[in-house]
Amino acid sequence: MLEINNLCVSIGDTPILNGLSLSIDAGEVHAIMGPNGSGKSTLAQVIAGHDDYVVTSGTVTYKGNDLLDLEPEQRAREGIFLGFQYPVEIPGVNNAYLLKAAVNAGRKHRGQDEVDAFEFLKIAREKMAQLDMDPKFLNRGVNEGFSGGEKKRNEILQMAMLEPELAILDETDSGLDIDALKVVAQGINSLRSSERAIVLVTHYQRLLDYVEPDFVHVLSEGKILRSGDKSLALELEDKGYDWIRKAASA
Amino acid sequence: MTAPALSNKALADAVENLPQNALSPTRQAALAQFLERGFPTTRLEDWKYTNLDEIVDISRRWLENGAPLPATAALEDRIAEVRASIDADWLVVANGRIADGVLDAAIPGITIKALSELPEGPDFGRPLADLNAALLSDGLHISFSREAQQKRPLGLLIIDSAESDPGVSQIRIVIDVASDAQAQLIEYHTSTGKAGHYSNSVIDCTLAKGASAQYVRVQNRDLQHSQTQRTGVQLAAQSVLRYCGFDLGGQLIRNDLDIDIAGSEADAAINGLYVAGEGQHIDNHVRVDHRTGPARSAQEYRGILGGRCRCVWNGKAIVHEGADGTDAEQGNHNLLLTEGAEIDAKPELEIYADDVKCSHGTTVGQLDEAALFYLRTRGLDRQEATRALTRAFGATIVSRLPIASLAESLTAMVESRLRELSGGEA
Repeated sequence: MLEINNLCVSIGDTPILNGLSLSIDAGEVHAIMGPNGSGKSTLAQVIAGHDDYVVTSGTVTYKGNDLLDLEPEQRAREGIFLGFQYPVEIPGVNNAYLLKAAVNAGRKHRGQDEVDAFEFLKIAREKMAQLDMDPKFLNRGVNEGFSGGEKKRNEILQMAMLEPELAILDETDSGLDIDALKVVAQGINSLRSSERAIVLVTHYQRLLDYVEPDFVHVLSEGKILRSGDKSLALELEDKGYDWIRKAASA
Repeated sequence: MTAPALSNKALADAVENLPQNALSPTRQAALAQFLERGFPTTRLEDWKYTNLDEIVDISRRWLENGAPLPATAALEDRIAEVRASIDADWLVVANGRIADGVLDAAIPGITIKALSELPEGPDFGRPLADLNAALLSDGLHISFSREAQQKRPLGLLIIDSAESDPGVSQIRIVIDVASDAQAQLIEYHTSTGKAGHYSNSVIDCTLAKGASAQYVRVQNRDLQHSQTQRTGVQLAAQSVLRYCGFDLGGQLIRNDLDIDIAGSEADAAINGLYVAGEGQHIDNHVRVDHRTGPARSAQEYRGILGGRCRCVWNGKAIVHEGADGTDAEQGNHNLLLTEGAEIDAKPELEIYADDVKCSHGTTVGQLDEAALFYLRTRGLDRQEATRALTRAFGATIVSRLPIASLAESLTAMVESRLRELSGGEA
């Protein structure tokens, strides 16, 4: 589904990704771990199409097409979802409006009819109940005045409504207490399917206790140092990132 | 460029040719004053950013044509449109003339008279009010008594046409809200026609002790037409004003809103939204005089600017000696969508009392790129995301509409104007 080949990315004159390669298939859950500044969030933003980042070399292919040619909204409509590490507060743009506009943008792109207001509300309320969210959130400004945990739940709600093919969740676990973490993990697990790929970008192994990855990759200095199965995450938790850096340079 | 001055003779003839009525003596006195001072120029501090040459030129051409009064038949469609979109008891002033039937309107608790029926002529003393009083055919006097119980707001539909020749019209409306009475009003300005038009309105509103007014003003003129307007509102003790103004259309627009807080415990909330696109110039001068305290005024204007346009906001609060316990706030926030959009924002505070709370804040910014990207990653294209953010910026003002029944139609009007703005950029 997603093929990243030797990707190099800079912001301004500073190189951040230095020849990263990664292959992700439908049905898989990948965890990308790494210390602060290793390039995890940059990778997530580049896949979503943020234009502050300049791809200096390498390729990214999504469902057989050049992903880097597409605008952010085209990527979204093609089934890519980014759960933001820091969801943006947008006062005055109502949550319900955004959810509905987002769902319909995707449906229109796929040649489907738009959902009507009644059907939309029904689905939104169902999904919110699953995420333990008050339906009142629908009428508030997007993330406006939300706590850290509420923002992350709202990201998962958007993902649940959009049913993406490739979901990249950037530090979705940060700032969550244990109860919220379980609810969010449940939300993610309920979306696991053979047609969908999920990428968890995370600093800690904590989330992976609840969402079990098929693959774990360790990122450092803009490159994948090591890939493995979920046991790699446990080993990292145990020995720290320095261990893997030393192991890699040895 | 300075437009050639008006011909004094042509102006005097135009005044002379108006239908003779009780206003005639006032017209002559006002004309004499106007001839002395003329139109305000950019040499005056209050007019520094707004050059009236365009308006002088339209007036000159209108006078050269013999100051014609256009037929109002062409306005019927537009009047019907406004009636259909806003539910109000409409009083129509078309091309500066009080429409048939207005003076016979029977609304319980509200008295409507022609100014020419009243013993005193209209006030003048400022340049544009002089011009207004000189060329005024007639105006309206509206009184709200305590018995007024409105099912829908009273609508003042000020509509003009300039189909083939330039047109000029003068509008004068005096509004009295009696002690403890309540008034709901919407003033709606619109126009049609390809030729240039200049409309000059003077509105004087007085709120007696304990009165309250929910006042909405919408200026939605065609983009080739210009307007100056002076609105004065005087608040007696314990009176309440909830004012919300929208400038969506027009080429050259200048509003002077003067709020005079004359009684203690008066409370004025003044909100405004201006949306300007290619070729528009919208100037809002708002002045609040706190003459006594305790009393409160809160002002917030927001602007959305696209294309090559210029807007001016000048908010002045004057706390006079002895007006202790004054609480005066003013804010102006602008969203600039294009590089050609220009705003001159100037808050002014003059305080001559001791125990006061005053604040002001002004911001000018562009769209939030982080928010734009966030919306795009959800599948909204750039134009749609821009529109959502722009609409959100204006929604703060729309949400303060004092007359809830107008929310839907006002929201639709603002959105339609924003669509034109974003369509024009693509």
